[in-house]
Amino acid sequence: MTTVSTWRWPTPSGWLPLPLVGGVLVLICALWLTAPMVEVDFVRLIGSLGKMTAFAGQMFVAPDWNYVPQLLAKMLETIEMTILGTAIAIVLSLPMGILAARNATPHIVVYRVTRDALSLMRALPELVWALVFVSAVGLGPLPGVMALAFVTVGFMGKFFAESIEVVDQKAVEGVRAHGAGWLQVRLFAMLPQALPDFVGTVMYILDHNLRAAAILGLVGAGGIGYDLVMSMRLFQYDRLLLIALAIYLVVTLLDRASDRLRSRIIHGRQA
Amino acid sequence: MSIHDLRPVRSQDLPPKPHNPVPVWVMATLAALWLILWDLEISFEALAYGVEDMGEYFSRYGQPDFSNLSRYLELMGITLATALWGTVFALLVAFFLAPLAARNFTPNPQAYRIAREILNFMRAMPDLLLALIFVAALGLGPLPGALALGVHTAGFLGKFFAESLERVDKGVCEGVASTGANFPQMIMYAGWPSILREAMGYVLYILDRNVRMASVLGLVGAGGIGLALHDTLRLFDYGQSAALILVILATILIIDYASAWLRGRLG
Repeated sequence: MTTVSTWRWPTPSGWLPLPLVGGVLVLICALWLTAPMVEVDFVRLIGSLGKMTAFAGQMFVAPDWNYVPQLLAKMLETIEMTILGTAIAIVLSLPMGILAARNATPHIVVYRVTRDALSLMRALPELVWALVFVSAVGLGPLPGVMALAFVTVGFMGKFFAESIEVVDQKAVEGVRAHGAGWLQVRLFAMLPQALPDFVGTVMYILDHNLRAAAILGLVGAGGIGYDLVMSMRLFQYDRLLLIALAIYLVVTLLDRASDRLRSRIIHGRQA
Repeated sequence: MSIHDLRPVRSQDLPPKPHNPVPVWVMATLAALWLILWDLEISFEALAYGVEDMGEYFSRYGQPDFSNLSRYLELMGITLATALWGTVFALLVAFFLAPLAARNFTPNPQAYRIAREILNFMRAMPDLLLALIFVAALGLGPLPGALALGVHTAGFLGKFFAESLERVDKGVCEGVASTGANFPQMIMYAGWPSILREAMGYVLYILDRNVRMASVLGLVGAGGIGLALHDTLRLFDYGQSAALILVILATILIIDYASAWLRGRLG
């Protein structure tokens, strides 16, 4: 049995904390055993440093300004896919979240089934689903949006369910005492309490989906990803630089915005 | 007598009418979504027609072909190893950068700003983009994949750690500082021990995430099971694709349960 004290150091006995040392040793063994699988070769790694700097040097070319209009259009498409995928996922996750919350589910069997369905949906990354959906409905943003929405429901449904599970039971009882029905209790007692958590979750998911949408084009599912891969394959570094910069900018902006919004929700208005 | 004279005398004294902005927001959101739908040229008709095709399409995955199972398991092993190396790499980077990026531990504000920016940058670069770059520089294989995962998740892990460090109890920091501890000693005796449990949770989460991502890194030539899946999908070999998807799915579910169990024991 590991108690709290053995997890800390310095330990009362003055010895190194055993669980920690054991864990690190196991980790080192695992790394050593898997090194050949990953083809870790430090000689090669150091040898390729020159190649890497040369590659990085190639990135610093005069940007291809003629490409900017297309870049903006593609970035807009990426952002639109993100928003649409997230919006569809929100609509689908709300009922899923209620079904998957222990205190809101109509029956324990429904709870288990929904939980498992959600964990299946989020098991595979967007890119795998995009690959499958592209084969099913053809190229374009549609399979990308479908893949984003599908995986996101898996995450968002789980997060929603978890925030519904921690709502204050008193408000639920109060609403129930007024003779509220099954749906009314969920709509007027549980959802309003879980709403701030929901907003935080949505911001996090939006962030995640933007990163995902930026690479979905890799498999032909719309967005900037296709241009990204093509400029890489065709060695068009003047475009690659602009694309990488654009992705970095948009992701950073959203990251900052969501950080600000989240801390405002958590710490109240003035923060 | 004009219409204005009909106004109640004390209307200015009344409290402002409560306004409910929700309908406006909902309408604006719906309008924006409609615009997006129109701009992306997504038609529901096509989707409706597509649904029939999709039913037929998914039925092709009905018979998973497990004849190459040992090969798949080996590929999955490589994928897991890639994720592990990536996570350890991220852990190492975050271990050194996070204390600098925590407001209450950082030795000087300049280091704080630089560490934050580095972490932000690493986080902003999508891991597949990094994998593309590393594959171009290092050649094909799992190593560029592990590096890409490492760089990207180091940004996340560093941020999580820094935020945890900033929440460390002030009394603990002062206690250690009053013994004359320098920066590394502060980190080792006040910082990490206080957030060990939380940090483990984050590392497990990142490992979990990296396994998912490692299984698709193969798409850009970074080895592992993703490459095999890509190839079989390209060849319309639905039996093998289904088997590969099932192997990935099973592994991720196992990891999911294992990390939930570990987290439950830690917390």
